[in-house]
Amino acid sequence: MTPSFCTIVPPHLLEHLAASENPSVAAAARRTLLADATARTARTRPRPDAPAPGAEAPAEPRRTIHDARNRTALPGAKVRDEGEEPVADATVNRAYTGLGATFALFRDAFGRDSMDGAGLPLIASVHYDEKYGNAFWNGEQMVFGDGDGEIFLDFTLPVDVIGHELAHGFTQYTANLEYFSQSGALNESVSDVFGSLVKQYALGQSADQADWLIGAGLFHPDVQGAALRSMKAPGTAYDDDVLGKDPQPAHMDDYVRTGQDNGGVHINSGIPNHAFYLAATELGGNAWERAGRIWYDVLTGGTLTPDTRFTEFAAATVRAARARYGDAAEIQAVTKAWAAVGVPTD
Amino acid sequence: MRIRVRRTGGFAGIERSAEVEADGPGWEALAAAVLAGDGAAGRGVPDGFAYEITIDGRTVRCADPHLTEAQRTLVSRVLREGA
Repeated sequence: MTPSFCTIVPPHLLEHLAASENPSVAAAARRTLLADATARTARTRPRPDAPAPGAEAPAEPRRTIHDARNRTALPGAKVRDEGEEPVADATVNRAYTGLGATFALFRDAFGRDSMDGAGLPLIASVHYDEKYGNAFWNGEQMVFGDGDGEIFLDFTLPVDVIGHELAHGFTQYTANLEYFSQSGALNESVSDVFGSLVKQYALGQSADQADWLIGAGLFHPDVQGAALRSMKAPGTAYDDDVLGKDPQPAHMDDYVRTGQDNGGVHINSGIPNHAFYLAATELGGNAWERAGRIWYDVLTGGTLTPDTRFTEFAAATVRAARARYGDAAEIQAVTKAWAAVGVPTD
Repeated sequence: MRIRVRRTGGFAGIERSAEVEADGPGWEALAAAVLAGDGAAGRGVPDGFAYEITIDGRTVRCADPHLTEAQRTLVSRVLREGA
């Protein structure tokens, strides 16, 4: 069957955002408007790992969206089940579509049936709490807030944010990287990598066409910033008088030691994020095909321990590149990428 | 009574702090309930917020989604009304 990217974003909201004076918000809205059209095209693209004719039918997602109704009890009231028609609430439909886009990437690019590889049902709750400016993975499901209305808009708006949350489930079921210090920054980076790949795959973008931003369109138009994080240029995603400047480093020389944020997991993820970006753009083409496959192989390869550090992860990507592609361009690209961010691979 | 809330982590990893000079029976009861709930918090979750609530020098730590009702009420009230 087809990737379910049947976006039902209310046109009035997208058109409003597309006309925004904030160029990043406008650009994001235009991209989302465009996504409807490109996703329809994507449905007809051949899938690299598609089974041969006569083989077992490809996996299908099992999605359920709940409405927390601005309270904090989870999961809340069920509002849309797999296969049901879109509802009037655009947030519900965006979550449903984003889960589908994430499922499609893992199935089509890596031949994986959901986050656990065994058809795990995908559950999300939207409208969590009041003016809640966050989204998280609670170990079993995704949770999305509506945004505080001053800094953040609805957390279901960027599809890479939905992919990011679900990828926390993927990590939990594979390498189970401990959410602290370097392994925590790797856990965060894996979510940014696959979140970005979800968006790139849904839009049919190659590595050089992608924006490599995490959370584009999530900031309120008054905030000075394109997104929350930039894999292409960590540290440049926002610079705002209220929020301050994007604190992400792009090199080990600038690694941030802090006791906050579980040891800076959302800060130091900039380093492995940038390594992935460098490897993917060096290889060119679609990032999910080779760079993405190498990272996927590392997560699922069973060689990482929960307390894996950057150097161990980097060495694992080199081994995975050799195992899958031999002594070729892939291994060179990966080795060069880690060297560029100051992480040794041997 | 001085109440300070420091929120860290979250998807954005952007820290936020606010402080209030809290007076009145409503605040007193809420503060007492928050201090009584100390230690009830479980471990945090990926992208969840972590909170430090300091009431007259005593600090309670908690993390989403394991906040008690009193912790959640106090946190949102301080972040909304505080400076």
